Amino acid sequence: MSPAFQTLAALAVVAVAAIWLVLRALAKKKNPGCGGDCGCPAQKLPSALRRR
Amino acid sequence: MALPSHISSSAANPSSARTPVYALVGNPNCGKSTLFNALTGLKQKVGNYPGVTVEKKVGTAYSQHGQPITVIDLPGAYSLAARSPDEAVTRDVLLGRRADTAQPDRILCIIDATNLERNLYLVHQILDLGRPVLLVVNMMDLAAAAGTTVDVARLEQELGIPVIACEAVNGKGLIELKLAMSRADLPLARHAWAIPAAIAPAVTELQASLIAHDRKAPLVARAEALLLLTDQDSVRVAGSTPLHARTGEILRTWQQRWEGEGTDWAGTLVNSRYDAIGRIAADVLLQTGETGPTASDRIDAVVTHPVWGWLVLGAVMTLLFLSIFTLAEYPMNVIDAQIAHLADWVKSALPPGDLRDLITSGAIGGVGGVIIFLPQILILFFFIGLLESTGYMARAAFIMDRLMARVGLNGKSFIPLLSSYACAIPGIMATRTIEDQKDRLVTILVAPLMSCSARLPVYLLMIAALVPGDRVPLFTKVGIMILMYALGTVGAFGFAWLFKRTLLKGAPPLMIMELPPYRLPRVKDVALHMLERGWLFLRRAGTIILGISIVLWFLSAYPKAPDGATDQQQLAQSFAGRAGHLLEPAIRPLGLDWQIGIGLITSFAAREVFVSTMAVVFNAEAKDDDTTPLRQAMLAAKWPDGRALFTPLVCFTLMIFYVFAMQCISTIAVVRRETNGWKWPLFQTAYMTGTAWILSFIVYQGGTALGF
Repeated sequence: MSPAFQTLAALAVVAVAAIWLVLRALAKKKNPGCGGDCGCPAQKLPSALRRR
Repeated sequence: MALPSHISSSAANPSSARTPVYALVGNPNCGKSTLFNALTGLKQKVGNYPGVTVEKKVGTAYSQHGQPITVIDLPGAYSLAARSPDEAVTRDVLLGRRADTAQPDRILCIIDATNLERNLYLVHQILDLGRPVLLVVNMMDLAAAAGTTVDVARLEQELGIPVIACEAVNGKGLIELKLAMSRADLPLARHAWAIPAAIAPAVTELQASLIAHDRKAPLVARAEALLLLTDQDSVRVAGSTPLHARTGEILRTWQQRWEGEGTDWAGTLVNSRYDAIGRIAADVLLQTGETGPTASDRIDAVVTHPVWGWLVLGAVMTLLFLSIFTLAEYPMNVIDAQIAHLADWVKSALPPGDLRDLITSGAIGGVGGVIIFLPQILILFFFIGLLESTGYMARAAFIMDRLMARVGLNGKSFIPLLSSYACAIPGIMATRTIEDQKDRLVTILVAPLMSCSARLPVYLLMIAALVPGDRVPLFTKVGIMILMYALGTVGAFGFAWLFKRTLLKGAPPLMIMELPPYRLPRVKDVALHMLERGWLFLRRAGTIILGISIVLWFLSAYPKAPDGATDQQQLAQSFAGRAGHLLEPAIRPLGLDWQIGIGLITSFAAREVFVSTMAVVFNAEAKDDDTTPLRQAMLAAKWPDGRALFTPLVCFTLMIFYVFAMQCISTIAVVRRETNGWKWPLFQTAYMTGTAWILSFIVYQGGTALGF
């Protein structure tokens, strides 16, 4: 694997990671502010429970 | 008793075509979440202390015949007259006030057999709603051990609703409960409670207005009228609809009239209800044995003692951190070796180049530097789970309350602060149990000062660098760790004291805390809690920390230095190096250089990213094909004049900085949400980071002056 190819592949991986991080930060969360990473995921109400 | 004419058959018999919806309600710590988990198979957090659930949770249970049943687990409440936001959630769902949730078809009430009379108050109010109710009498085993028995058949007869004896922890009574839940018809309560004559006309008038103007069902309107008259209906949460102006007008008119007459209308209503409950309790409670001090009472005499209690707490903390350092050592070495092998294998499989560097220094170095702490995270949460499950946490709250009351913290602040040792986010959410808004805000402001699990990898890395080698007594490491946790706790109390006397002045809070009986820990619950936290830790390592490590590798590797430059020169002129150099003037007085500055910047995303950043930054200097352990790489780091970068004083200063600094974007977002604005999160970030800098400055400059 040539150094030039390695550089291209590495930059592609970096670009994907950067885009993912930006999208993750900008994404509107289902449970905003809950911080699912910290173990307090609130479940979404099933549609049957929404006001009829 | 005949059913009121306005009760339609659809209320009692939800359509068979639709999944029946049960609201699960009860007093705090009566076993709601345990029953919810047993019914739905979910893993909702449970704990042997009040206030674990602060939001509604939804799950699906299945009847004995496989019919799906929706169950909503609601936060614990002592009464429908909500005093705090979490109780307001329960009240608003039951009364159909929530715009996002329809009123449940049926109500599954759970009560604690050891506290029957107090638990029946909420049941009594719920029966007023005129919905089909199932009553579960939980903890029958504990009641029997305390020398009392609940006559379930008699209680069923008194209330006129199905009553099922249960031990949710052991799964006893679940089959009977599922059979009852799947019944097509549930009888409505045969509930005779006469509203006092002095109040009855007001209830009737308010009820009529609520039906006419607020479109409430007749019995719900009656229940709402009773709540309005107890004058405790001030707490409203987002999503609940305001009452019509005419209803408020009627209420004010009656209140003015009673005030003129000197009538205590709220007290009259509450006393009347308690009289009715007292009569029921006298009929159904049977004394089966001697009532004297229980085993819990005898244990409490020691663990809540003003002197022995602190010693027990200190011993528990010491045992916890001793376990973290000793039990975790072997699995950590195994993980460390596997990570090094993986990196070496990649180095041998790929020729030198950017991709190889990215994988070894960026991905493996960054993520590996963090996941090495997995065993310690598991041990920490195993202990926390054990302490929660047994009921010791409530005792710790009790003895800490003496301290908390002195600084003006609300007794209910303890559980949010305790939760913040795991993560500040659930801790901040748990402040919803605090009635007083100023007390709640004070707790939110100081909760992130409690050392969360994300700080643990930073502390452990710094302790490893601070006191290297095996010659240092284990108790020194344990002592430093306890000191860090104690500093965060003292800092939280200190700032709470300051805020309560300046920005958020308020009356000294009254501590009313229920001490649950001790229970044997459920190994399954503790193990599940521990594994869930371990999984969350790994998920963070495999997602956000991996992503940041990859981007950080790029920022430290580009732009490329001219051929022949050393790794140090490459890092210095990279994007990350330039950012670190920009920060260096601000952190140099703390003994920190630009390389550490890179870690301080990236760890705003999450504190443990500091560790992965150090791995990326310092592994960049490795020249041979053998991966250098991070600790050794850090100890080898030097200032340009040849002085060691990570001296014991610098490591200690960094730990102090991380105790106090607000290095967590997620926490800032949650504070913004819970306080409905940017004012308080920005204030919190400023005061915490400012304090971190000032204290680190004092420690470093003081330590340097003293010759450390």
